[in-house]
Amino acid sequence: MTVGLEHFLVVGALLFCLGLAVALSKRNAIGVLMGIELMLNAVNLTLLSFSRFQDTPHKVAGQTFVVFVITVAAAEAAVALALAVSVYRNRQTVDVDQLNLLKS
Amino acid sequence: MLHLATEAAAHPTVSEGVLWAILAAPFVGWALIVLYVRKLPLVAGWLAAAAVGVACVLSYVVLFNVIAKGGIAVHTHEWFRAGDLVVNFGVRIDGLTAVMLCVVTSVAFLVQVYSNGYMKGDPGIGRYFAHMCLFTTSMIGLVLADNLFMIFIFWELVGLCSYLLIGFWFHKPSAAAAAKKAFIVTRIGDLGLLAALLLIYTRNDGNFDVSAIQAWALNSGTPGYLVTLFALGIFAGAVGKSAQFPLQVWLPDAMEGPTPVSALIHAATMVAAGVYLMARFFPVLEASPDARHVVAWIGAATALIGATIALVQTDFKRVMAYSTVSQLGLMMLGLGALGYVAAIFHLLTHAFFKSLLFLSSGNVNHATNTFDMRLMGGLRKQMPITLVTCVIGSLSLAGVVPLAGFWSKDEILLDAWRDNRGLWVVASLVSAMTAFYMFRAIFLVFFGEYKGGQPVDHHDEDSHFHGDPAHPHEAPLVMWLPLVILAVPAIGAGIFALNHGFRNLIVDALPLEIADQIKSESSFKWGVAIASSAFAAGGILLAWAIYYKQWFSSRSIRMGFAPLTNLFENKWFFDRLYEDFFVKLVLQRGWNRLLELNDKYVVDGVVNGSARVASMASDRLRFIQSGQIQGYGLGIAAGVVAVVIAVYAANPL
Repeated sequence: MTVGLEHFLVVGALLFCLGLAVALSKRNAIGVLMGIELMLNAVNLTLLSFSRFQDTPHKVAGQTFVVFVITVAAAEAAVALALAVSVYRNRQTVDVDQLNLLKS
Repeated sequence: MLHLATEAAAHPTVSEGVLWAILAAPFVGWALIVLYVRKLPLVAGWLAAAAVGVACVLSYVVLFNVIAKGGIAVHTHEWFRAGDLVVNFGVRIDGLTAVMLCVVTSVAFLVQVYSNGYMKGDPGIGRYFAHMCLFTTSMIGLVLADNLFMIFIFWELVGLCSYLLIGFWFHKPSAAAAAKKAFIVTRIGDLGLLAALLLIYTRNDGNFDVSAIQAWALNSGTPGYLVTLFALGIFAGAVGKSAQFPLQVWLPDAMEGPTPVSALIHAATMVAAGVYLMARFFPVLEASPDARHVVAWIGAATALIGATIALVQTDFKRVMAYSTVSQLGLMMLGLGALGYVAAIFHLLTHAFFKSLLFLSSGNVNHATNTFDMRLMGGLRKQMPITLVTCVIGSLSLAGVVPLAGFWSKDEILLDAWRDNRGLWVVASLVSAMTAFYMFRAIFLVFFGEYKGGQPVDHHDEDSHFHGDPAHPHEAPLVMWLPLVILAVPAIGAGIFALNHGFRNLIVDALPLEIADQIKSESSFKWGVAIASSAFAAGGILLAWAIYYKQWFSSRSIRMGFAPLTNLFENKWFFDRLYEDFFVKLVLQRGWNRLLELNDKYVVDGVVNGSARVASMASDRLRFIQSGQIQGYGLGIAAGVVAVVIAVYAANPL
């Protein structure tokens, strides 16, 4: 069996769905953040697969994109964890079910 | 400048400038008063009199020119053009115009002079004279106009001025109501005139010229029903302005205005506008027998209704008002019976003696502070001049030989006799009643014991009555001199009919074939004249027997004819019919209620309904806004999945 583009894409899609499921179902805000990280990495995997297997003139474009995503994801994780800590200080909880301030 | 001479042989040579000056003089007077001297009563009053006086003098210049030359002259200019519609602004001068000009300006001038006495001390006097000037302008414009469009414009202006003047004392609710009533009721008739105007626009290639319309009506190629429709349209306008049945109700209420206004507008000129309009388009009546029968019988009905109500009025001025309604009915009857000359002649004499009578009633009011004849009596000692002028006016109105009214009324009766005996019977009956109610009024006002008048109410700020009603006095010079001057034509205007002078003057205004036909008829018949004199004498004697000698008690007569007097005293229930049935029931309970329901359920329903739908929908949708980010995320994810599935379903790979 030759491992081709489809396999990478299926793995990426599965990872994305897992991440989505985690992000939408975890009560703990930290867990939600982890789900989001998983989704980002799934996307990275997809980008890399296309970059590797598609016959595009700029081979390096997809990899550059992934580097940017990793950078932004790191920044996002830092900000999001800081937010989570801040929320915890204010509300003594990081349970997203109780963070329904958007409800008017 | 376009200069048309309809009759090649002869036409009036008076220059166009003079005609425009007649129109402009009172207009300038109006403008000056409104702009500069509204606050100066004396200046405003005499400026108004002078402005109308200039118009009056020029009118006589025109009249003598027309008498000397005869024929018709038209000076017309293009005013504006809009697509196919060409509207001219021009003057037409002929016998009819000249006579009407003289009547309007003479009466207006004397009334302006009189007003200087009567209106003295009224705070709104500047406004009063401005309106009077504007009114005279519009009336002159109406008479001079050479096309129907212009007639319509001035016709409406006359209506406006009438509204302003009837409602002159607008702080009195009754005057404000009367003004509105006059405006609305005449407007119903004006709709007919507008319809006639539009008919001419569509059926006569938009040629509004009087001569063109006359030719259109006489042209055998014109469908008869169109001519009849046009005639009925302008007659509807005339019914409104000239207070004919069934729109006669506004005129008696118009007595709420100052008395000189009543004399000018509601006796001498404005109400004559309707008769003038019908006379102006007399060939149309000639061409449509159906229309002229309608005119004649409406006139007869009006004459009868007016005269019968006048029999039982207790208000001196309202007797005159109903008398005017009745006399206008007679004029219409005359026109319908093809008595063109008779109707215009009666219009002329009536203008003089009726304004004389109205101004006399003003003098009586000036002395007694009331118009109620039950509070008067015995004024012959204190007010000899007014008595004499009033008796002259009444004799003339009653049609006693040889006063002016006799000759004109006799001609109408003769034309009625020739056309239809039924019309003659009505007209004669009306003449007898006219004589009766006028002398009833005179005996009640000037003879017997004085009953004290209406005491002055010093708390009434609107009243500007000077003097003491308990001791009545003759009116000042400016107020009795116009009466004396008006008495002269009221006595002697019959002389114009001598040797067919008047007839020849005004028939020149008509197309030749009709003019020749009228000229061939005799205008006097001994039988008719004697009968009409007998009716007049009978009426006067009856009034003398009941109200002077008191051989019969008026009360018992009144009881004897109880259903009839009830009918007359309630004005044949016309006011009740209009007020209770049309206004209250049809308009207020019917139409207005319909509009109210529409507003309440349809308009409000749409507004409230959309609000309710939005509110209910949002109630149902509220639960999805939980504030849970994860819920929203799930929604977004589900949406993406739905979109992807939809795209794939629409475009299978």
